[in-house]
Amino acid sequence: MLDVAWVVGVVAVVVLVGTYVTWLAARLDRLHLRAGSARRALDAQLVRRAAAAAVLGEQADTPQDELYLAARAALDAPNGEREAAENDLTRRLRELDVTSAKADPALVEAVDAAGRRLALARQVHTDSVRDVLTLREHRMVRMLGLARRHGRPAYFDIDV
Amino acid sequence: MRIGIVCPYSLDVPGGVQFHIRDLAETLIGLGHEVSVLAPADEEADLPDYVVAAGRAVAVPYNGSVARLAFGPISLARVRKWLANGRFDVLHAHEPTVPSLSMLAVMTADGPIVATFHSALIRSKMMAAAQVALQVVLERITGRIVVSDLARRVQVEHLGGGGVEIPNGVAVAKFATAEPLPGWPGEGGAIGFLGRFTEPRKGFGILTEAFAQIAPERPGLRLLLAGPSDLDEIELPSIVRERLTFLGKVSEPDKARMLRSVDLYIAPNTGGESFGMILTEAMAAGTPVVASDLDAFRRVLDGGRAGALFANGDVGSLARTMSELLDDPGRRADLAAKATAVVGEFDWPVVAQRVLEVYQTAIDASPGKVVPGADESLTAG
Repeated sequence: MLDVAWVVGVVAVVVLVGTYVTWLAARLDRLHLRAGSARRALDAQLVRRAAAAAVLGEQADTPQDELYLAARAALDAPNGEREAAENDLTRRLRELDVTSAKADPALVEAVDAAGRRLALARQVHTDSVRDVLTLREHRMVRMLGLARRHGRPAYFDIDV
Repeated sequence: MRIGIVCPYSLDVPGGVQFHIRDLAETLIGLGHEVSVLAPADEEADLPDYVVAAGRAVAVPYNGSVARLAFGPISLARVRKWLANGRFDVLHAHEPTVPSLSMLAVMTADGPIVATFHSALIRSKMMAAAQVALQVVLERITGRIVVSDLARRVQVEHLGGGGVEIPNGVAVAKFATAEPLPGWPGEGGAIGFLGRFTEPRKGFGILTEAFAQIAPERPGLRLLLAGPSDLDEIELPSIVRERLTFLGKVSEPDKARMLRSVDLYIAPNTGGESFGMILTEAMAAGTPVVASDLDAFRRVLDGGRAGALFANGDVGSLARTMSELLDDPGRRADLAAKATAVVGEFDWPVVAQRVLEVYQTAIDASPGKVVPGADESLTAG
């Protein structure tokens, strides 16, 4: 009898641990997927802002060459230099004197709107990366190497 | 856009979160969106047609007051059915860290989820203990909104999340056009206060002392008081008692009328105020505001340009500020005009537009519609 109780106990523990690990792996998959989507959405917003800034730089009555060049640089930046290029664009946009540039208000509003959406996309991305990194630090996840199938997401640290 | 909003508390009990959800839903509908609000309520209850009842709520003491929550297998079934029927583009849950319909909806749904965190008063010990469990809820949320800087600090310190700050909206038009109570404000000057005046942090005692200082020289000066507390529980200087009109607990329309009935609205709070909703309402009503110089109030009043500030807790400072303003109708008109300009930023259509931007961001970041997901997290979690 004692043996049967032992077997039942061991089986129950194995089933419980197995369910827990499966759930943990599903959570990890979902969070990595979401961080990936958030990153793609962030990239799309970065491109939209740079494109709007390039149009503004080109079309202002007093041409804003520096703004245009910064926007082009942000669009063309290779992966490692992207954050610096985006920060440079943010700085140029802050320095831009809308009145003296005689910029079209519709273009200015387009850049402002793109900036707001970019700030939101960055927040969503930061939150999702933080969630993934927290779960990757989980003892069970590390012990079983559950995160091995996924690349480690990174924060995208820019000032907008 | 098809939007599903979840309210954690019963709609037939008045409360900040419930009013927020009602105003947001009606504004979004006005902007042409399709909105459904899921809330704990009896089916027979008289509800606006955009509300779906999720069954009777259970009264649960929470955070010093009684919340009416729905939580359990029946509620879960209703949530799943509502999600399946709604085919929402985005799910917006309010206060998802409270065990409620909101939490159920967040745990059940897959797809773009936005959440708004309202409360600034959270017992941090309880929060720390529940952190691991709450993380499972929070990590399902794509877009996080906090209604105030204080709510954000709670978020960052205890829940590890950031969040976009979008203030509470005010239905400016409702306040700006309300009819003053008959006979108010009158010739001798009228001062208003609204809130739980028995709570020391609301600072009503500071107001009554300051009022007692200036009342002897101003024979016509009156005090208009409203709030859901008992007048017998507080000691009042006799001159205040003589000049006091007490309205008791007021409905929303009466609140607007009350705010339009006074020359000055006083907010003497000594702390703990996360946003100062009543300030923006007084501003919308076109009534000049005198407030203690708390950070939150200073921000709403544009550093003192859109309302007068006095030294927090200082009776003399409040008495002087009230006296000066009562004697200077020009300055009062100037403050009211600046307040009207500032409060435009808190008008619901403007605030709703910012909420829509968060919806769009959440949709971009988690493709697909909102669907009731497989039960993995509920059965095994």
